[in-house]
Amino acid sequence: MFAEWLFTGFSILSVLGAIGLVIFRHPMNGAMSLVITMISLAGLYALLSAKLIFAIQLIVYAGAIMSLMVFIIMFLNVQTEDLPEEKNRFLYLFGGAVVLAPVFFFLKKVVTSLPGSEATIVGGGFGGVKEVGLVLFRDWLLPFEIVSILLLVALVGAVLLAGKRRMSQ
Amino acid sequence: MIQDYLILSVILFCIGILGVVSRRNVLIVFMSIELMLNAANLAFIAFSRFHVSMDGHVLAMMVMAVAAAEAALALAVVILLHRHKGKLDTNVFSLLKG
Amino acid sequence: MEHTVSYLGLIPLFPLMGALVLGVMHIYSCSRGKIPEKLYAGIACVGPVISFIYALIVFFQLKGMPPESRFLVHDAFTWFSVGDLHITMGFLADPLSSLMLLFVTFIGSLIHIYSIGYMAKDENFGKFFSYMNLFLGSMLILVLGSGPVVMFVGWEGVGLCSYLLISYYSEDTDNVLAGNKAFIVNRIGDLGFLLGMAFLFWAIGAGGFDYLSLRENSHLLTPGIGLVVCLLLFVGACGKSAQIPLFVWLPDAMAGPTPVSALIHAATMVTAGVYMVARFSFIYAHVPIAGTVVAWTGILTALLAAIFGMFQRDIKKILAYSTVSQLGYMFAGVGVAAYSAGIFHVFTHAFFKALLFLGAGAVIYALHHEQDIWKMGGLKDKMPKTYWTMLIGALALAGCPPFAGFFSKDEILFSALATGHTGIWVIGVTVAGITAYYTFRMIFLVFHGTPRDKEAFDHAEEAPGVMTIPLIVLAVGALFAGFLNLPSIFGGNLNVSHWLAPSLVDHHPHVGISVELLAIATSVIAFAIGITIAYRKFGMGAEEPEYTGFAKFGYNKFYIDELYNTVLIKPYKAIGSVIWKSLEPNVTDLPVKLSSWLYQKAGAAFKVFQVGYVRIYAIYMVIGLSIMSLLLSQSLN
Repeated sequence: MFAEWLFTGFSILSVLGAIGLVIFRHPMNGAMSLVITMISLAGLYALLSAKLIFAIQLIVYAGAIMSLMVFIIMFLNVQTEDLPEEKNRFLYLFGGAVVLAPVFFFLKKVVTSLPGSEATIVGGGFGGVKEVGLVLFRDWLLPFEIVSILLLVALVGAVLLAGKRRMSQ
Repeated sequence: MIQDYLILSVILFCIGILGVVSRRNVLIVFMSIELMLNAANLAFIAFSRFHVSMDGHVLAMMVMAVAAAEAALALAVVILLHRHKGKLDTNVFSLLKG
Repeated sequence: MEHTVSYLGLIPLFPLMGALVLGVMHIYSCSRGKIPEKLYAGIACVGPVISFIYALIVFFQLKGMPPESRFLVHDAFTWFSVGDLHITMGFLADPLSSLMLLFVTFIGSLIHIYSIGYMAKDENFGKFFSYMNLFLGSMLILVLGSGPVVMFVGWEGVGLCSYLLISYYSEDTDNVLAGNKAFIVNRIGDLGFLLGMAFLFWAIGAGGFDYLSLRENSHLLTPGIGLVVCLLLFVGACGKSAQIPLFVWLPDAMAGPTPVSALIHAATMVTAGVYMVARFSFIYAHVPIAGTVVAWTGILTALLAAIFGMFQRDIKKILAYSTVSQLGYMFAGVGVAAYSAGIFHVFTHAFFKALLFLGAGAVIYALHHEQDIWKMGGLKDKMPKTYWTMLIGALALAGCPPFAGFFSKDEILFSALATGHTGIWVIGVTVAGITAYYTFRMIFLVFHGTPRDKEAFDHAEEAPGVMTIPLIVLAVGALFAGFLNLPSIFGGNLNVSHWLAPSLVDHHPHVGISVELLAIATSVIAFAIGITIAYRKFGMGAEEPEYTGFAKFGYNKFYIDELYNTVLIKPYKAIGSVIWKSLEPNVTDLPVKLSSWLYQKAGAAFKVFQVGYVRIYAIYMVIGLSIMSLLLSQSLN
């Protein structure tokens, strides 16, 4: 019962945060809303017994990526007058919502027709570092290595993109 | 139970799309993409929980790693664009116009 | 099989290989610097000479066989198969083709050797010999082919090579146009040949489409179809052998280098038509009407060309018209069913015409490419070897006994008379007189009298040995070739005719000796009259007369080129331009234009969607997703 209350609370928070992201004009406000969504999602992960992912969500997403984002927003020193004029923002949002409605209802229809909705009890080890690590390094070793190379490439790329122009200027 | 999580995932995903198509601010668009990734992650974790298999967790980690890489590159691109045009408006970048 | 010999295919292969090697060498030399002329010349002459040696081998092998089974075959490979029809790249050597083979390779080789001298220091030396070898190889395929299809390969090959060689000096537009003319006129003939071949195949091709099978099945041919086949094939022969109405290309073909003219006129190309008619003698023998048509066309061509020849001033054009005229004789011969006489005239003509052309080439060479006989004269002492050899050639051409031309020409005229074609005989004798006249007009103007162009005369000197030796060899041929077919009245026994008999369906009329004597006497008298008139007019040196009246008409070739131009070419061009200007843009191109217009408009309409904002493209994508969702929702129930 308690878990359901928690689920409801986190759900509402995450949806509100997401709506805030698309509504606020200034990106800083949007980023803050997104942080709320991230943290609520971390809570939901915890509810789903995903301990490691809960931690990573908080540390990597809510922590690292979002702080990088906020840092960039501050680095670019975005003022309100620099922002694009978005007078018709709400009109667009409404139109988008109308267009997206069939997508949403279709996905909802798919999701509700799935069988086996009740959760089973899982052991204490589920979602822990050791267990996920075993799966990761036993069954997913090659994708893991590929992702590590991808990160390296992204690192080099980011340095090159953001750094070269600075030298040339 | 699982349907609730999945419906929440769908809702967040749709809001993400909405952000991408209706906003002109580059940073907001980018954060909307992050939101979509998160929605997908939630679906992964939920499926993983209900099938009692940790492959979903691994996939979610992969997504996060890719998201991190994407964030690094995308923000570098945003810096470049801002330096180039001095604006964060996606409508400024209309080189594709025929 | 006892008649199969594997070396038969090699005979055309050697010149063709030579052409390939020389062509590659020439292309190489274009980009990488010069290759010495001696190397080219050596390679160029090897192919024809080896072919000649093989031709001799073939000849002697055939000679060792019993007369009724004298043939050798060699099927190199199956060229193509359609259903039950298998066309092989096959070669056939029988008495007819072996005789052709002998003089084609022999004279071809001599012309190659001569060309080494004539073409020296030409910048496209290698290209020239490559084409020459190709020419000879094509002619050998034509002669040796075991069926009409293989013959057609060589037929087209010589057409192509004549085009290449006539327009050899391609810097001058006139030469290129002459090449074009030869090629196009030949195409008209080729169409006739092709149609004739198709008819023949349709009628009796089921039992095999080579000469031996066709000959066996020729009795199945109905007279109507036979006539059509014969006339269509004769159209082809007209094109290749320059008969009325397709003779116009041959005089223009003089644009090429002189050895090429010699090769075209003596050994290859123009004799192909006569050879073809003789080859199909088993069909022509069934259709006398076709033979009559052939004979009359031939003799009229002979008369017309001889008249043109009387008034020409270009030494090569005179010889060209004499060739047309002599070809007319040959057709008259094969037309009156005296196939062996026609082929024998081809044989002797090859010697003296090659001799005359090569001699003319030596004169032109000595005078630095002067071809106008009214600017020559008195060269007798300057160029004795050329003079004496050309004199022998001229006597042979004019039909002076006992030179080669006399016997062969007389054989034809006698056959015409003996088979009752008196008209042909009368014209033939007249032409013999005219021939003597214009031949000696040329000889007297070039070699006798006083020099008309002093400066050119002073620089003239005898051609080098590589050019005069072939002349002497040919002169010997022109002198004695006639004795090979000595008629019985002179104590001979018609060796060539007997040799050719197995290949041909020959017809020997038996008439009294008085008729034969009459034919000989009239020929000699005509010759004497012709040469006397020529001597009276030109023997002592003459000034160029004004061309008036009939002479002007003849000099301009009866305006036949102009006639063809107005009657055929101009309407054709007019029709072409009507189609080009009104029919094509308004009718055939209309759907194309319409569709392109449609695409333009559609593109303009769709351009509206290409706003250039990434966001809008994302919206399109979402709209698509939405529609897809709607459709999928329908099916999910």
